[in-house]
Amino acid sequence: MPTKLDRKTMPSIPTFGRDKIEIIHAQNFSLPNGIPVYYINAGTQDVIKIEVIFRAGSREQDVPLVAGTTNSMLEEGSKKHTSEELASLLDYYGSFLETSSQNDYASVTLYTLGKHLDKALPILEEIIKEPSFPQNELEIYLHNNKQRFLVEEQKVRVVAAKNFPALLFGDSHPYGHRTRLEEFDRVKKAYLEAFHKKYYSAGNCSLIISGRVNDVLLNKIGDYFGKDKITNAAESANHNYTPQSAKEKVNFIPKKEAMQSAIRMGRVLFLKNHADAIPFQILNTVLGGYFGSRLMSNIREDKGYTYGISSSVTFLQHAGYFNIGSEVGSDVCEAALVEIYKELDRLCTEPIPADELQLVKSYLRGNFMRSMDGPFALADRFKHIWLHNMDYSYYENYVKALSTITSAQLMEMANKYLHKDSIYELVVGAKKG
Amino acid sequence: MIDFERFTLDNGLKVIVHRDTSTPMACVNVLYDVGARDEDSERTGFAHLFEHLMFGGSINIPDFDNVLQQAGGENNAFTTNDITNYYLTLPAVNLEVGFWLESDRMLSLAFSEKSLEVQRNVVIEEFKQSYLNQPYGDIWLEIPKLAYKVHPYLWPTIGKNIDHIKYAVMDDVKAFFKKFYCPNNAILCITGNVTVEQVKALCEKWFAPIPMGNPPKRNLPVEPPQTQARKLELERDVPASAIYKVYHMGKRMDKSFYTMELLADILTDGNASRLYVELVKNQKLFSEINAFTYESLDPGIFIVTGKLLDGVTLERADEAIQTELAKIASAEVQKDELEKAKNKTESQHIFAEISILNKAMNLAMFELLGDADNANKETEKFFSVTEKDMLKEASTVLKESNCSTLYYRSKPKANAN
Repeated sequence: MPTKLDRKTMPSIPTFGRDKIEIIHAQNFSLPNGIPVYYINAGTQDVIKIEVIFRAGSREQDVPLVAGTTNSMLEEGSKKHTSEELASLLDYYGSFLETSSQNDYASVTLYTLGKHLDKALPILEEIIKEPSFPQNELEIYLHNNKQRFLVEEQKVRVVAAKNFPALLFGDSHPYGHRTRLEEFDRVKKAYLEAFHKKYYSAGNCSLIISGRVNDVLLNKIGDYFGKDKITNAAESANHNYTPQSAKEKVNFIPKKEAMQSAIRMGRVLFLKNHADAIPFQILNTVLGGYFGSRLMSNIREDKGYTYGISSSVTFLQHAGYFNIGSEVGSDVCEAALVEIYKELDRLCTEPIPADELQLVKSYLRGNFMRSMDGPFALADRFKHIWLHNMDYSYYENYVKALSTITSAQLMEMANKYLHKDSIYELVVGAKKG
Repeated sequence: MIDFERFTLDNGLKVIVHRDTSTPMACVNVLYDVGARDEDSERTGFAHLFEHLMFGGSINIPDFDNVLQQAGGENNAFTTNDITNYYLTLPAVNLEVGFWLESDRMLSLAFSEKSLEVQRNVVIEEFKQSYLNQPYGDIWLEIPKLAYKVHPYLWPTIGKNIDHIKYAVMDDVKAFFKKFYCPNNAILCITGNVTVEQVKALCEKWFAPIPMGNPPKRNLPVEPPQTQARKLELERDVPASAIYKVYHMGKRMDKSFYTMELLADILTDGNASRLYVELVKNQKLFSEINAFTYESLDPGIFIVTGKLLDGVTLERADEAIQTELAKIASAEVQKDELEKAKNKTESQHIFAEISILNKAMNLAMFELLGDADNANKETEKFFSVTEKDMLKEASTVLKESNCSTLYYRSKPKANAN
């Protein structure tokens, strides 16, 4: 007879936690004109992702919506082709574009099969260098986005997400701006042209390439992006990045007849290169950064107040912040808030038990491996250190911290950053209690 | 191309293994052949509620998530009208933990009262968040029952009535588990940095001892062909009116499916698509327009939906959509229009194969549909569709008599503020 199978005990995982995690680094070189190119050759499929990044985020705009509109409108027509023609030329080969406008940067990303690269590259070049911002397309874009904005404004989650950074940074801060309906009517073609000219220039550009990358590809990139002369890089708009946080810590935005209330809580933190960045992120995971987190266990799994609750840490180039978010039944909103504060307080007053900390470290270790899996993921990991002028030692330190950090250090973090009197609270909903 | 091996355990569990050594991770995907369509019409939403309960502890392991996270893993699940699918990814060195967890909850759940009570509330909050507290959210409660009259696709996975969830009791839960959650009603698919020998050994150890069950033979009512146009009007407090046109079409492996997918692409995918160019750009009737199919295992639906711009009536919008659809139903699509749609499909397919999770879900789904190897024949099937097929399908499907139309009218503002 074979021995009876022990189903009660977890199978042993002897090597996990001691094995080395291999971090594939991006390689880099410069195009003839000096544009930096970072690339990762990995993966098994014949796919390529080319992200062309410009320091052209919303923080550079003088007029609201101009950065995002410029970025989206790149696909809407060039000096040589209409919007429809551009789309057809890419579609025909199954290539696709993604435009993205963030606070700190904007990008245009091409995804293509390696075999169709030659067809896609000229279109990418044309879209970036020669957009025509046609008036008709611009009007349609603004009109349709205005309507989408009205739809989004009905969602408590969206209203909360939009108003929370304004509480932390202040309305006039580059990271705190709240889009208003009338701003859609103020965007002019001339503003887009000027913004494009100033910020979508060779001197303001970097490329991150991932997938099946080879020398042939890298040479071709030089043909399309390496010839424009770099004049001086555009100066960043001269902003004051000091947060002007709201006076009131507790804030409420009424939304009639909402069945659920959206909750946002959090505070301003530090930059990604700060010594507390890694320990605080581990602490955040304990609180609300994974499915088994304290907030999920308490507010969803124990009380059933919500479908989901989480907390996160966001690092921008000039600021960082911490933020808890959830949508809860309107009738249990007050009770949920009480529980959230209880969890914050518990982190400040009780050391995290050893088994819970070990669990979080293991989870983060697995998560880190997942986040480094595949060519596009590796490119993203690179981007997220590069944007902050950091190198791979950040990830080495992170992995190290996953084995060395202690409960005492995390309690110190909690006491430094999570006292109730430092936390901003925003509720959007029918009523608070 | 996804290479795989497959075998079946004595208890009927089908197993598929795909080895990918480019990743340090592994994925364990378990598909149970039960979805909302298998529910009692008086106990709807149960398959989905049950999916939540599968995380509330199994017979030997009180906390699923906790131990998985100790092994650096992450998991989730989803329920559709057709299936319930559970997946986890973890470092491949910890693969056995995935086997231990999934086999224990296939063996038996803990059936904790507390878990049932909490997950009932969680699902009710999910219902509110997704369907009620969301502009246009309730259309997904309305469309199925407009399009289907007898087939159980007439209720959504969340359930047709929240009371069905509210009053679910433990006996229902136990009966549901016994009926559907057994090895011979499941497909296990392992992908990632694993070997077939390793997976075979782990299957023998953890899954083979689970006794075979007796899942019911599916015998669902067949939806009779629709012969008359159906209309429904709703008025809601939303900023823009919307229209939904819902057509009956074929099921997942039918030629109809591949044809309608390509048709949807030609109609609304991207800035060069027909409806986008004509109705959004030229005529300026809609702020957005979309067409898509449901990948359903029984005959499914094709939906065309758009949000209207201010000042456009629903009748005008409806007519404009019908005019465009009549074009594609009366003349063959252009050769390069079809070629383009096919190339896009091929490319999406290759991009999706980067992920071991996608590969695992795909293999399991195609095995359920008869043969996992069909996962590798998708592109071929799309490429075999001709202009003539497109015309034939469009003219059969895109008729008013085969259509349910929903006017979702924006409530006029009482006072402008």
